[in-house]
Parts: sequence; C-alpha cells; structure tokens
Amino acid sequence: MEFRDFSLLVEHTKVGEFAAGLERGVILATRCKECGRIYYPPRHDCSRCLSDQMEWIELNGTGKLVSFTAIFVPPEHFTPDLSTAAPFASYEYHPAPVGIVELKNGVRVMGWIPGIPRKELRVGMELVPIPEILPDGRATIVLAPPPEE
Amino acid sequence: MDKVGIIGIGQSRFGQRSDASLRELAFEAVKGALTDAGITLDEVKAMVVSVASDELSFALQPSSQIVDYLNFYPKPSFRVEGACASGSMAVRTGWMTVASGLADVVLVVGAEKMTEVSTAAVTDVLGRAGDFIWEYPFGMTFPGYYALIARAHMAKYGTTEEQLGMVAVKNHHYGALNPYAHMRKEITLEKALSSRTVADPLKLYDCCLISDGAAAIVLASEKLAKRFNNDPVWITGLGLGTDTLSLMDRRDLTTIDATVEAAQQAYTMAGIEPRDVDVAVVHDCFTIAEIVAYEDLGFCKKGEGGKMIEEKRTYIGGDIPVNVDGGLKSKGHPIGATGVAMAVEITKQLRGEADHGRQVPNARIGLSHNVGGNGQHSAVHIFRRD
Repeated sequence: MEFRDFSLLVEHTKVGEFAAGLERGVILATRCKECGRIYYPPRHDCSRCLSDQMEWIELNGTGKLVSFTAIFVPPEHFTPDLSTAAPFASYEYHPAPVGIVELKNGVRVMGWIPGIPRKELRVGMELVPIPEILPDGRATIVLAPPPEE
Repeated sequence: MDKVGIIGIGQSRFGQRSDASLRELAFEAVKGALTDAGITLDEVKAMVVSVASDELSFALQPSSQIVDYLNFYPKPSFRVEGACASGSMAVRTGWMTVASGLADVVLVVGAEKMTEVSTAAVTDVLGRAGDFIWEYPFGMTFPGYYALIARAHMAKYGTTEEQLGMVAVKNHHYGALNPYAHMRKEITLEKALSSRTVADPLKLYDCCLISDGAAAIVLASEKLAKRFNNDPVWITGLGLGTDTLSLMDRRDLTTIDATVEAAQQAYTMAGIEPRDVDVAVVHDCFTIAEIVAYEDLGFCKKGEGGKMIEEKRTYIGGDIPVNVDGGLKSKGHPIGATGVAMAVEITKQLRGEADHGRQVPNARIGLSHNVGGNGQHSAVHIFRRD
C-alpha cells in the first residue's frame, strides 16, 4: 500500500507506515517516546520536545461523534463524472457524509459515515473509526456503529 | 511609536468580471486609491500585494503581474499570503513597513481572479487550504469545514438554521445598497432556507460568493498623512492569531481561537473594548462564521451569536452594525482582495462616505476581522478617526 493510496496527492512522507496500517486493518497514531504526546494524524516529529523518536500505536475503541456534514458540492477530484475522480466518488457516497469522532484518549479521527442515514446522525452518538479498503485498492477510514455487545 | 494613517482608498466592482484580468482589476483599485489620496505612483515608496492563490491565477508570483502592469520599478514590492486573510496580512505588512520607517508612503493592493475556472476547480483549490494530506482525502471542501463548525455550534448552543439564514438576509439587505457588491439583491428568509444544500447544514445562501475583484489603500506615516489628507483614518490596533491546520486538532470546533487571540491583541493595542466599536466588518465566508465571529470578537457572550442576529442587534441601529457593506456573502469574496476591501469599507464608514442607507451614523471606531483558511489565521484591525 502506497501512502498516496490514502492521501490521493502525496507519496513522500516519513509516516508512510500509516497507509500500510490501514491495509492491515488498523488506524495508527504516533507517540513521542520522550514526552508521551500522542499525534493523530501521525507525525514523525514532536513539536513539543523536538524529538524524532516516535513509536506507532494503534487507535482502538469507540468514540463520540463531535460533528458531521454531508458534502453535496464535491471538489474536482471527487466529482463522479470526471476521469480524475478519487476513489470515493466512484464508490458509493454522494452526497459524501463526513464526520469527526473523539476517542476516549482525546484523539479525534475524521472519516466517512456511509452506513447510517443522515437523519439518524447525532452529535455525541457512539461510532467506531475503522479502515476500509475500496474496490480499487485504495484505503480510507469510515465511522461505523459500534459492534453489538 | 508614530501613527500610521490611511490616506487613500479604492476598489473595483466585485463580481463575475469576465471583462477583466487580475492585473486589470488591480489597476482599477489602485487608480481609485491614488486618486482618492491625491498622489501619483511616483510618491509611493513601496508596494505590498496580496494575491492568495497561484492555482487560480495560473502562475507563480501572481503579484508581479500587478506590479508590472503599474510599471512600479525599481522600488520595493512584494507579496504576502495567508489564504483568505491575505489582504489583512498585506495591510498589516504595509503598516509594519511604514511604522518601521522603511517607507513613509506604502500602497497595499489585494486582488483575486476566481471565475476563470470552474466552480469544481475553485472548490478543489480552496478545499486544499485545509490539511490537504489528512483531510482533503475525505472530500473536504470549504463549505464542508464550516458545516462541521456549524453542526457543532448548533449541537452545543442550539443555534438554528433559521438564525444562519438571518445573517444572509441582513448581508444581502446591505449588499443591495452597495454599488461595488457582487450580488445586489435582497433575499427573504424563506428563500435562504429553501435553497439547495451545499454541505449539510449549510445551504447555497449560507455560502459567500466566488468573485473577481480588487481593493487598494494608501498608507502613510503620521507626518505625511496629515500633509496629504487633513483627516486620515488611523490604524490603531492590529492583532494576528494562528490555529491548527486540521479541524481534528481544534480545541473547540465552535470557537476560532485565532480570532480570540487576534481580537485581544488588537483591543489591547488600541486601548478599547468590544463595546467601543461603532462599526465592524467580519469574515462571513459562511453565515455560521459571522455568528462565531460575534462571539469570538466579544460582541456577545459565547453561544449567543444566533440570538444576536435574531434580535437584529447587528443591523444599523442595533448594538453594533456588522457587514453593512454586504459582507463576503453579498459583496463577494475575491480572496486576496477581501482584507484590503475591509479596510476600504471601514475607512468609508469612518469618513461618513458610505452609500445612502448603509452609513452608520457618527462612526468613529471601526473593526475588521479577516480569517484565513478555516481559522488557521485570523487578523483583527482597529481603525479610528480623530
């Protein structure tokens, strides 16, 4: 899995492992070995202590929906009828539902919310961020209802 | 420190200006500002240019197109950039250039040409002003970012879609009276609420326009300002704040911390409080942004922005008239021009030269608030007439 399979535009980065993580089914963040600060989106460098000694950690569990929208007027890369269209445009989401969940450790994760009718979405509801591999092989993140107990 | 005054203002008509290129739009504004100041380009010692986007102007260093069209050689000229706050960055940089003594007369020009490419392309370019590695892959657009802010504000404070629509109704009301505005027509709340969804809960009339346009001001040192203009408008407070690139990292989606910071700096520098402001222009790129600005600038308590527009307290005659030029919503938002156009509008208001029906009576202290990106930059300036 190339990083560009997630980012659409960028391949060169020190945190390319993130995309490999999605392929393995995990969402990765980084944690500074010096000060313990967690970074999501992951960063290779800690701005607080200027260390580049980071470790990968997996993000797990449910979060609370902080906010959500559905984008009816997509950017060019997501316009379904253009050949430059990005994966989700050709997948299933229009309008594109997007939201941010806050996990128990305070980390916030953005993702698509394909499986829930928009009218049923509520700020504060429980959702789980999970990696999703698209039919064309690209990777992204979706926010899904938590598994039944 | 010596004061810095505005001695000339000019702007092009905003709109879908298929008759003019970037440099030609800028010329219209510069001509107006120099004429207003009663000086020639020979008397200008330096020039600061704001053009936000290379992509929309098809070229690197788009500012040079403007400088060259004015044959402004060989004196200092340069570009500053901060997305939709580029214009205020240019005003700030112009102020710094005068205040530092590097130049005593400075021309500040802001311009943007946005309608020569498709709406999808503009949406794409602006969407990448957010975190283009980590958020753009989710199809995020500018309306999308502000929709997330709106939804969070509605959930936390009970702000309603009707209140959002009321901001649009107000700004279109005043924009209809502004001959430089892009969309000069009144709208009804019903029309705003029934317009199509752009990014839920934001509808078409919650979104500012994609416009072409330019604005310019001439800044001068205290000594020269009084020689050229016996009643200049002074910039007495400047604040600039910065916030996270990614919305995922925001402390609180319902506040733009960069604005709170910038406002505090500007009020302190000018020695005033929010209630001293007679007229304000705020960054209403989306209706929710104006409501959040009321709160972050201290015009009302946190969470009461929706109520403030509902009670019409930001109309002329209310507590503090806001965006009586039509705002970005109706006047238009050529992104590099906007911050400079805000300085033009406040100067007009403080001089008492605004159009009939949208002049705030006896305005002496004005405020401009200009946001770059979805809150990465926020610039607040305080203006005063002696």
